[in-house]
Amino acid sequence: MNQRNALRARVLELIERGVHGAPDPDAFDRLALDVFRYQLAENAPYRRFCERRGVTPDSVGHWAEIPAVPTAAFKDAALICGSPDLAELAEAVFRTSGTSSGVERCGTHYIRDLTLYRAAALTNFAAHLLPEGVTLRMLILGPPPELAADSSLTWMLELVRTEFGGDGSRYFVDESGLLVDELAAALESSAAAEEPILLLGTAAAFAHLLDALPKTLLRTARGSRLMETGGIKGMQRQIQRDELYAIFGERLALPELYCVSEYGMTEMCSQFYDNVLYEQARARPPEFRFKVVPPWVRTQVVDPETLDPLPKGRIGVLKHFDLANLDSVMAIQTDDLGVAGAGGFEIIGRAAGAELRGCSIAMDEWLTAQR
Amino acid sequence: MVDGSALEGFWLPALDRRRLDIKERAFGPGQVPLALPALTPELLRHSLIEAQDARARFLAERPVAELLRAIAAAAGLLTRPGERYREELLAVLPEITGYSRRMIEIGLQRMGEGWTESALTAALKAEFDCIEVLDDFQPREGGGLNRAYGPSLTVHFFSGNIPGVSVTSLIRGLCVKSASFGKTAAGEPYSAVCFARALAEVDRELASCLAVTYWPGGNEELEAIAFAEAEAVIAYGSDATIADIKRRLPLHARFVPYPNRVGAALVARSALNRAHAPQLAQSAARDVASFDQQGCVSPHIIFVERGGEVGAREFAEALAQSLEQLSREIPRKSLTPAESTSIHQLRAQAEMRGATVLASAGGTAWTVIVEERPQFEPSVLNRVIYVRPVDDLSVPLRELARVGRHLQTVAVEGEPSEVNALARRLGAAGATRIVPLGATAWPAPHWHHDGRFQFLDLVRFTDIEQP
Repeated sequence: MNQRNALRARVLELIERGVHGAPDPDAFDRLALDVFRYQLAENAPYRRFCERRGVTPDSVGHWAEIPAVPTAAFKDAALICGSPDLAELAEAVFRTSGTSSGVERCGTHYIRDLTLYRAAALTNFAAHLLPEGVTLRMLILGPPPELAADSSLTWMLELVRTEFGGDGSRYFVDESGLLVDELAAALESSAAAEEPILLLGTAAAFAHLLDALPKTLLRTARGSRLMETGGIKGMQRQIQRDELYAIFGERLALPELYCVSEYGMTEMCSQFYDNVLYEQARARPPEFRFKVVPPWVRTQVVDPETLDPLPKGRIGVLKHFDLANLDSVMAIQTDDLGVAGAGGFEIIGRAAGAELRGCSIAMDEWLTAQR
Repeated sequence: MVDGSALEGFWLPALDRRRLDIKERAFGPGQVPLALPALTPELLRHSLIEAQDARARFLAERPVAELLRAIAAAAGLLTRPGERYREELLAVLPEITGYSRRMIEIGLQRMGEGWTESALTAALKAEFDCIEVLDDFQPREGGGLNRAYGPSLTVHFFSGNIPGVSVTSLIRGLCVKSASFGKTAAGEPYSAVCFARALAEVDRELASCLAVTYWPGGNEELEAIAFAEAEAVIAYGSDATIADIKRRLPLHARFVPYPNRVGAALVARSALNRAHAPQLAQSAARDVASFDQQGCVSPHIIFVERGGEVGAREFAEALAQSLEQLSREIPRKSLTPAESTSIHQLRAQAEMRGATVLASAGGTAWTVIVEERPQFEPSVLNRVIYVRPVDDLSVPLRELARVGRHLQTVAVEGEPSEVNALARRLGAAGATRIVPLGATAWPAPHWHHDGRFQFLDLVRFTDIEQP
């Protein structure tokens, strides 16, 4: 479609200006409304969602008014622009990992073409993990694409490995799990050679590594850095962010400012990274750690009950507007708890898995019992 | 430090308050500070032994009729307008539980109907042929005599979802002349203490047979002390909580568990006539709104037969309107971010599936999800109700049988012969309470709670056989 190609080109151009270039809010504002109107016209389930809320192409004057689809909606509809057949032709299909309740469906994000996804992922990753423009060997504490075909995280890691990974970049998870000894050996050999490396993985994978080698002194050369994702959620033991980074410092010799947290989701093409390494590389050690919102995205913190935006400093749930989601839905309502501050936002946790108290039954328990 | 203005969250008459290490702990969305003692195992054991001692002296041989008078008098202090305890509960419970004041008011009033002398007498008579069997040996059908003895100590583990249930539980213990120790839950730690204090005003000696306090869950050391002293244990909570308690129960203790329950409603097409349907929708709305659906009695799902004068969709819309009205008269409690978010997410999923979602504007005050799906599925509650149109009520009956183990209250509407037929099948499936719409929230005082006995499950009998 001409309209789609034109929009795609405009979004791509905005992304290619980079993360930390001169801001151009008007560009986002205009493009967001155009993308919204396109999605309203082309994405049937989204159109019905908007119509039920009395929203028409003309009733939205600002991106903040664009109706946001809760992430769970991706479990029950193919949220794509264009004919549903296009789902079959999608270049990639990302799915959320199994939920606690086996009978629940998973969220599915059909990526019609990966151009925008690639552009957003690479630009953003480079800006925040390789701000000095260096090439580093990547040690990935995750499965290769063959073992996790529908994971957006796996796909992203493969993308950055291919584009930016130095010689010897590889995965350290196979069917048997984390290859602890091989990883330890790789760490040791690169440290001995004074070769800085880039470690990437979920916080749970890192915790697993460190728990598996409680007595081993693992070292990394100066300039090494780490990207962790998933943070404290999904971990067996409760651990705070500060504690985790302190452990990285002690056990992996990684300074705090070289530990960068990534936040992304299956339902969004773009990701968010901590500001710290980018600032450090600009010789501006940051006062606060926060997630950077790239110029082609907007994030609001909203009241969990009313979904109205909250002022800075108030904890709410995160709502994202991502232009890279051109082919699906740009406005996403998550159930991630966060708070906005100067410069960006921070994630606090998930507002999910509501517990029911007393004699009334919890959905999760119920579904577990039914299995 | 305690500044003297915090409410006391405990009733431990055997302990010298001046010797206790008392700290304040904040509860609920209103962060209400309650003063609570740091209980050591020794202090707890002492309390439990003293309560049993007091029972032997003041309760074990008290005539039941007198007991009921004292209990009713104490309960009256919690339910009669103008009484200090009632006013305190109306002020404090909304802040602790998040329920609206109006909801608490209705709850106290309706539950209070079961705390009167006549209601308690009726409840006892429903289980004991002659309630004086609690006082002395009485003749038995078949020959001989018997007498009922309540436990020397009943330990209650309360849940926090419905204010006032803890009071009913303590009252049951008193009726069978048992000393009671109540461990309250963070969701509602106060009404039991309030009752104990009210009882102390009416009859200090009886109140010395009660002990109530709060400690954060999972304190196995203290719980072990309670178990060791208990002759009966009553526990309210999730299946997991109950299983955990059951695992640690001593051999000698009688166990009365109140685990996970789900409710439902069945509406036959015969009931959906123009004249009757609007009132049915209002009744259903009250059932959904009462305590925000958090009770074991609350309906999660309403199966509606198609083909009546009023269709299922129309019924759902009337239900939605009634819920909207009730949301103003009896506001729904404030939710945690997780609870609010899961309702927004659930609504979106249902919409995407093609269900009709009728929802309150500007928030999650109420939700009606109309969908053709035969399965029973539990609601996330907080006034989220599924309406499932069916061709014929036999389909949902099969579904409800599948979850029979968890089934308690089922509201049924139809012709009397239909209701009877449905009741038979529901009873066989495991349902323990069948009511009209509108009546789910307030069980009759003499009900079989979860199909069992309120008092008989606590007592043991001694028989005198006379050949």
